[in-house]
Amino acid sequence: MSRIYLGELEELVLLMVALLRDEAYGVAIVEQLLNQANRGLSISAVHAVLHRLEEKGFVKSKMGGASEERGGRRKRLFKITAFGRNALEEVRDTRNAIWSLVPKTSS
Amino acid sequence: MKKEQPPVWVNSLLDRLAPPDLVEEIKGDLYEMFREDITQKRPRAKFNYAINGLGFLTKHFFWKKRTNYSTSFIMLKSYFKMARRSLFTYRSNTVINVLGLVIGMASALVIFSVIRFESSFDSFHTDADNIYRIVRVTGTGMKITESSELRTGVSFPVPDAFKQEATSINSITSVLFIGGALVEIPDASGAIVRRFNETNSCALVEPSFFSMFDFKGTGFKWISGSPKKSLEKPFSVVLTTSASKKFFPDGNAMGKTLKIDKRNDCTVTGIIEDFPANSDFPFTVLASYSTLRVLAPKMMDDWSSVDDSHCAFVVPNKGFSVAKIEEEMAKIHKKHASFLTERFYMLQPMKEMHFDARFGNYNGRTITHNTVQALGIIALFLLLTGCINYINLATAQSTARSKEIGLRKVMGSNRVHLVAQFLIETFLVVLIAGVLALGLSELILINLQFLLSIKPSAYHFADPVLLGALLVSVIAVTFFSGLYPAIKISSFSPVTSLKNKFITEAVGGFNLRRVLVTAQFGITQVLVICTFVVVIQMRFFQNTDVGFAHKAVVNVSIPQRDPVKRATLEQQFRSQSFVSGVSASFTLPGGASRNRNYQGIATADTPPDKEVVFEYQSIDTAFLNLYKIKLLAGRNFHQVDSSHYLLLNKTLMKNLLLGNPEEAVGKPVLRNGEKYTVIGIVDDFYSNSLKNGVDNLAIEMNPNAYRTLSIKLMIGNDKGSITEAMAEVEKLWKATYPEFIFDYEFLDENIKAFYTQEQKYTQLFEMFSTIFMLIGCLGLFGLITFVVNRKQKELAVRKVMGASVPSLLLLFSKEYIWLVLISFALATPIAYYIANEWLNNFAFHVDLQWWLFATPGVMVLVVAVVVVCAKSLGAANKNPVESLKYE
Repeated sequence: MSRIYLGELEELVLLMVALLRDEAYGVAIVEQLLNQANRGLSISAVHAVLHRLEEKGFVKSKMGGASEERGGRRKRLFKITAFGRNALEEVRDTRNAIWSLVPKTSS
Repeated sequence: MKKEQPPVWVNSLLDRLAPPDLVEEIKGDLYEMFREDITQKRPRAKFNYAINGLGFLTKHFFWKKRTNYSTSFIMLKSYFKMARRSLFTYRSNTVINVLGLVIGMASALVIFSVIRFESSFDSFHTDADNIYRIVRVTGTGMKITESSELRTGVSFPVPDAFKQEATSINSITSVLFIGGALVEIPDASGAIVRRFNETNSCALVEPSFFSMFDFKGTGFKWISGSPKKSLEKPFSVVLTTSASKKFFPDGNAMGKTLKIDKRNDCTVTGIIEDFPANSDFPFTVLASYSTLRVLAPKMMDDWSSVDDSHCAFVVPNKGFSVAKIEEEMAKIHKKHASFLTERFYMLQPMKEMHFDARFGNYNGRTITHNTVQALGIIALFLLLTGCINYINLATAQSTARSKEIGLRKVMGSNRVHLVAQFLIETFLVVLIAGVLALGLSELILINLQFLLSIKPSAYHFADPVLLGALLVSVIAVTFFSGLYPAIKISSFSPVTSLKNKFITEAVGGFNLRRVLVTAQFGITQVLVICTFVVVIQMRFFQNTDVGFAHKAVVNVSIPQRDPVKRATLEQQFRSQSFVSGVSASFTLPGGASRNRNYQGIATADTPPDKEVVFEYQSIDTAFLNLYKIKLLAGRNFHQVDSSHYLLLNKTLMKNLLLGNPEEAVGKPVLRNGEKYTVIGIVDDFYSNSLKNGVDNLAIEMNPNAYRTLSIKLMIGNDKGSITEAMAEVEKLWKATYPEFIFDYEFLDENIKAFYTQEQKYTQLFEMFSTIFMLIGCLGLFGLITFVVNRKQKELAVRKVMGASVPSLLLLFSKEYIWLVLISFALATPIAYYIANEWLNNFAFHVDLQWWLFATPGVMVLVVAVVVVCAKSLGAANKNPVESLKYE
C-alpha cells in the first residue's frame, strides 16, 4: 500500500491546483471544480481541503496581490509541490495499472 | 452608483472567530464571489454570502480546535509535570502551604455547613416566606421599644376570633407546646407498662398545622393516617416514627392507647416521619388541638390569661401588608378585651423564629443574624490567612527559583507561560488541600456536633452544594494566592537572575510580605483578644455571687399536690445523715429550667393599667435559711401565718415606690384584686442569668403551689458519696410517688445552663483563635526557615567576626517582633469595638481594661518569637565552618 493517503475530494482539488498553476486560489478552484468536474462545492469546504493539503505538504501557499474586485484583500495562492505532484502521479499510475488488469468484457 | 455591500455582521463574526491569519483570504474569496453574484444578477447574493461565511465558521472551528488543542494540551501536561517536580523539590514549603490551606479550608467548610444548616431552618415549607407567627407585645404602643415586653403566647380565644373576624388573614393555626408531659403506655388490662418523660417534644396541633407546615422540601410523608382525619377528634395523637418505636417497640402503634399526664387516654391515629433536624418544631408527639376545647372549655374564653407556649401562625390574604393585619388584629382584640390596653398582637415572619432571641422558639435555641455573619467573616479570614501563607512563602521562595525562571526565559518561555505554570502549581497545592479539607471538615463536623448544634443530613462527599462551594473556593484561593507570586516571579530579568544577584535580600522597606504578615497577625490578634475577653466574661458569670447559696443543692419535683405525702417525704429526707436542710417551694431561686410564673401587683395608688409584673414564688419557712437569702427588713414566714402575707425583693419594692425596706414592711399591696401585707423585704439576687437584670419578685407561703423540693447536701465533693446519696433520695422519692418518673437536677448545673450558648461560643472562639495562631505560626515558620537557609553564609561570617548567638537571634526576630507589634496596634481598636459590642449584650459584664488586651497581645508575641527563635537557633548555633567550607 502506498503511504500517501489522498482522499477523492483532496485529489480533485489538488488536480485543480495543478491545473490552475499560478492562479490557484479559493474562488478559482470552486469555479474550475464546477466547470471541469461538474462538482458544486461550497467555498468553505474548498478552503478546508486546501489547508488540509497544505498540512500534508501537497501544496504550498503564499499571499498574492490585492485587487479591487476582492475589496482590496489579498488572496492566498496555492502551488502544487513536487511531493504533491508525485502523489497525484502515483495515484493515477496505480489506478491505470489496475484498470489495465480489469477484463474489458466485464463492462 | 453605490456598490452593494455584503452583510456586515458576517464579516464581524468572521473577524472575531476565525483564525486571524486566515481572515483576509476568506473575506477576499467571499467578497469576490459576492461581486460575481451581483454582476451576474444572481438572486440572493447577500444570502449566499452569509451562508458561505457561516460555512467557514464551522470549518474553522474544526481546524482551530484540532490544531490548538494539541499544542495547548502538550503544554498543559508539561505544566503539571513541572509543578509536580517543583512541589516535590520544595517539599517542606509544600507541606506548610498545604497544611495551612487545609486547616483554613476545612474550618471554612465547617462554618459554611453550619451557616447553611442554620439558615435552612423551616425554609422547606411551601409557604415558608408567607407564614407569620403572632407575637405578643406589651407596651405603650403598637411598636417594639426598649421597655416593651416581648412574648410569643396568645390567649386561647385569639386564634378562633381572628380566623372568624379578620378579613386579612387567610389561614391560622394554633400550637400548644407542652413543656413536660408524662406519657404512659398501658397494656391490654390497663396496667401501666412503660413511662416516658417527654420534656421537649409534645404539642397540641390543629389539622391545619400540616397544611401550613407541609415540610414539602424534605420529602416528609405520612406513614399512616392523614392530617385532616388523624388530628380532628379530641384525644387523638399522632406520633413520629421515632416516638412510636420508643413507645411501642413491639410493632404497630396505630389504634393503641397512651395516657398523657395521668389523665387523658389518647388513641394513636397517625404515624408520620420524623421532622427534620433543621426545624424549630421539635415535636414527636402531636395530640389534637380539639382535646383542649374539651378539657378546658373555660380557658377558650379567657382573653387575658396567656400561656407563652400557645402560639398562632398565620398566612395573610394576598394584598394585605403586615401593618394592615396588625391593625385589624388590634381592632378585634380591642373589641373582645378592651381592658387590656397595653397588649398588642404583632406579626413576626416565621423564618425569623430561628434568629430572633427576643421571642425564642420551641427548639429553645436561636442564633442571631450577627452571629451568622460573624461566622461567615471568620470563615473568610481563615481562608485569607491560608492564602497569605501561600503568597508569603511563594514570594520568599521566588529568589531561590530565580535561576529556573531565568533559564526558562532564555529558552524562550514567555511570561504567559510562566504565569500559567505557577498558577498550575498553586492549583495543585490548593486542590490537594481542598480534598484533604473535605475529609477533615467531615471529621470535625462529626466530632463537634454538640458544639455546633448541627445535625448534618448527609456526608459532604455527596452534597453537591458543598462540593460546588469547595470548587469555587479552590479556584478563588488559587487565583488569590497564586496570581501575585506568579506575576512577581515571572517578572525577573533573566540576566540578573542568572548572574546570581538575587541571593541577598533587601533589608527594611515596605514590601508586600511584611504587609501580609502584619495583616495575618492583626486578624489573629483581634480573635485572640476577643477570645480572652469572652473567657474572662464567662469566668465573671460563673464566679459572681448570685445572692443565694447554690452549692450542693439538689432539686427534685413534687408531682402531686397531696400535702401529707409531701411532708412525710420531707421528714424522711431530713432524717438522712447527708442532708442538712430541706425546703419546698414553687420554683427555684435561679436556674435556667425552673418554673416561671408572672403576675401583676399594685399598690392602692397605682392606676389599674399600670400594674407591675413580678415573678411569683411560694416558699416554706425553711427556704430563706437554706438558700441563705438575706432579709433586709421585716421577718420570714411563720408556720402559722395567714395566706395574705408577702415578701418582696428590693427591686419590686422600688418599682412599687414603697420607700426604703423599713418603710415598706407592713404596707398593703394588691394582687389579683386582693389585699396582701408586706411582711419583709429580701435582698436582690440573680434569679435570671447575669445577661439580664434583676426581676421583680414577690413571695408568698402557699403550700398548694409547692412544685419543687430543694435538698441541701452535707457531703464532700467526691463522686461516690454523691451517687450514694442520690440513690437514697431516689429510693425515698419513688416510694412516695411510685407512678411518676424520678428526675433530679443540681442547682449549680441549672444555673450554668443559663450560659450554655456563651460556653459554646467560648469553646468556638478558643478553637478559632488556636487555628488562626496555628496557621500564622506555620507561615512564620516557613518564612523563617527560608530566610535562615538563605542567610547561612551571612550568619557564618558574622559569627566568625565575633557575633554572639543571642545577637544573631535578635537579628532574625527583630523584624517579626516589629511586625507583631504593629499588628497588635492595628488589632486593638477593632478588638475593642467588637468586644464592647458583645459585652453590651449583658446586663452585668466585666469592664474592658488594658490588661484584657495586653495579656493576649504578649501571648501572641511570645509565641511568634518562640517560633522564630526555635528555627533560627539551630542555624545560629551551627559551626560557621560548615557553611563556609564550600564556595
